[in-house]
Amino acid sequence: MSDKARDLCKARVAGRISRREFGKRITALGIGAAAADGLLQASYTRAMAASFDWMKYKGTTVKLLLNKHPYADAMIADLDAFRALTGMDVKYDIFPEDVYFDKVTAALSSRSSQYDAFMTGAYQTWQYGPAGWLVDMNEYLHDAGKTAPDYDFEDMLPNLRASDSWSGVPGAPLGGTGAKQWAIPWGFELYSISYNRNIFDQLKITPPENLPDLIEKATKITKDAGGPYGVGVRGSRSWATIHPGFLSGYTNYGARDFTVADGKLKSAVDSAESKAFHELWVKMIQEAGPKNWATYTWYQVGQDLGAGASGMIYDADILGYFMNGAGNKEAGHIGYTPIAPNPEAKGPTSNIWIWSLALSNFSNAKDAAWYFIQWATSKQHDMFGARKKDLVDPVRASVWADKVFQDRIAGSYPGYLETYKATAPDAKIYFTPQPLFFNVTTEWAAALQRMVAKEVAVSEGLDQLAATINRELRDAGIG
Amino acid sequence: MREPITRILRGSALALILLFFLFPILWILLMSFQTNADILRIPPRLGFTPTLSNYVALLSGKLATSSGTLDITFLRNLGNSLLLSVASVAASLVLGVPAAYAFARYRFRLGESIAFTLLSFRFAPPLLVLLPLSLYFQILGLTDTYGGLIWVYQLITLPLILWIVRGYFEDASPDIEHAYRVDGHSWWRTFTRIAVPLARPGIAAAGLLAFIFAWNNFVFALVLASADKQPVTVGALAFVTAAGIQYGQIAAAIVLSILPTLALALYAQRWLVEGLSLGAVKG
Repeated sequence: MSDKARDLCKARVAGRISRREFGKRITALGIGAAAADGLLQASYTRAMAASFDWMKYKGTTVKLLLNKHPYADAMIADLDAFRALTGMDVKYDIFPEDVYFDKVTAALSSRSSQYDAFMTGAYQTWQYGPAGWLVDMNEYLHDAGKTAPDYDFEDMLPNLRASDSWSGVPGAPLGGTGAKQWAIPWGFELYSISYNRNIFDQLKITPPENLPDLIEKATKITKDAGGPYGVGVRGSRSWATIHPGFLSGYTNYGARDFTVADGKLKSAVDSAESKAFHELWVKMIQEAGPKNWATYTWYQVGQDLGAGASGMIYDADILGYFMNGAGNKEAGHIGYTPIAPNPEAKGPTSNIWIWSLALSNFSNAKDAAWYFIQWATSKQHDMFGARKKDLVDPVRASVWADKVFQDRIAGSYPGYLETYKATAPDAKIYFTPQPLFFNVTTEWAAALQRMVAKEVAVSEGLDQLAATINRELRDAGIG
Repeated sequence: MREPITRILRGSALALILLFFLFPILWILLMSFQTNADILRIPPRLGFTPTLSNYVALLSGKLATSSGTLDITFLRNLGNSLLLSVASVAASLVLGVPAAYAFARYRFRLGESIAFTLLSFRFAPPLLVLLPLSLYFQILGLTDTYGGLIWVYQLITLPLILWIVRGYFEDASPDIEHAYRVDGHSWWRTFTRIAVPLARPGIAAAGLLAFIFAWNNFVFALVLASADKQPVTVGALAFVTAAGIQYGQIAAAIVLSILPTLALALYAQRWLVEGLSLGAVKG
């Protein structure tokens, strides 16, 4: 690298020149965009190293447990930068998602020191954290000797930071008083509509704006599109059926999962708002959902959209993103739109899923593992993943504001950024944190299946569900 | 006149039964030569342009997906399955056949209790024993070792071999062994020259069954070992990613993973049939 190019990179990293200015001047030096990007990345790494003793744990090896996910792929692709920065080595075990959390739970519950850090979701930390299996990251975040000065935790979207922290008191708000930071957000997803633009154009319909509108348009697709069904949503007997579009719409109708009074929880699934929403949701699936809805998980919902078998999905924005990629029949035909299911609502209220990194309490190299988590959730790596890989949605505000990332997404995924911007402000975890999360949501999914199969009327089914949940809460001493 | 009709009817019935049972395997075989786009075509078609890309991806270890190229370790998973299954069955045969002989021929204190305890390993749900086991494995340093896994696989293979082979030893008359002993041969020689050859069909059948059970196991390696020691049953799930399901590669993986069991079953067929018919005519 010439001295001039090096000086330019230094100036850009220090924020003395704009990205546009940097681009113009580096091009004038005869350096192509890809090479310039590489030089800049290396400068960022050097800048990080200069401001903090990243080499403190040189020679240490950190072992990770990862889920097979594009976010993990993005991180693996950038591991050499971490090795160069810290002199540490990283080993990882990567398992398919179907079995991933079984592996995590087995490793933690057996107090295994095999893994130092691992990927997790926020809901899982409600079990792992209070059980004493995780390290409270506040210990590190508030220690200037252990956290780099430019780490900038505040740059992470506030709702994400809060969603990964909880006091462990059932019903206490996420990120509230006494909350422990059980995990650090790394990449996330929110819930909106991804639709097949060809089908919508063919039927001359516009993207849905609310749930009644969605039902009408989805029913039209099922009737008139010549094969594809209207809308794909998850339906298997699992918590994963409840947390995406379903809970986002449920919240938008003003319904909550629990009411909390005097530290005791009471199910609120039998409320009037809940019943109104369930009636519509059940009708939507009956009239315009997939035939085998009760078996549908993330995979089937996405696959149908990618293969042109469904007109739209109400699921993760990143699922629509992946289905727009090469290898799918409908690649390049997927559009994105925000949705506020309740016509009376001010805007969308999306629930979220956050892939986060957590530190095992049984690790023998906690401080070194924190260095890894710190790097993996840093601006530099978040930027790398967002610009060059599929780390969408990134967790940092500065990365969302990055022009290179925005241009990349706007060019290949039209409508994605706009959908994100409209959905993000009120996107957060809308579940009430409590230790019976998986039991309650599985019961909920089972009840939903019975309602869709017309084995029980919606109102009656919800009354029964509320009674079941309340009994479980009482048995656990929290209801 | 009736005979040809009966033959035709019987042939048709057999063809139907074969078609019924083999159709899923045939469909998977066809899928393994199709791209994901062909497999997911609506409506499904029988006509397609065959491709070897799925097998190439498995053998080369590189899987192209919509979100980039992924490294896959299917061949390593296949090797792990072979190692774990063969070693586990071998260990179970070495331990189980003499034990089966002892249980069949001798009455000793707590004999039945011990035999039943060994059988009870088959009753216990694996998840129930896995967490305590993983704690012990950490203490013993067996976590994430092939040796530890082969030991745990004995829970699957040893009771199966012991109880099946015991039945064969019990069915064979002890008189031949007595006669051989009267000729001055040792107990060990009698066991290896007379008893084991007589029970060979049963040993082959039990070995094959144990191999299939070991091959199909999923949860032991998942909990007790790292990703590099996982068998095909876990490895095949790698094609199910957040960015999509690679049906073609899954089908090719299934075809490759049933080949060793199929080859073994075909090879052992002679003894299997012999073993089964021996049991059938025994009166």
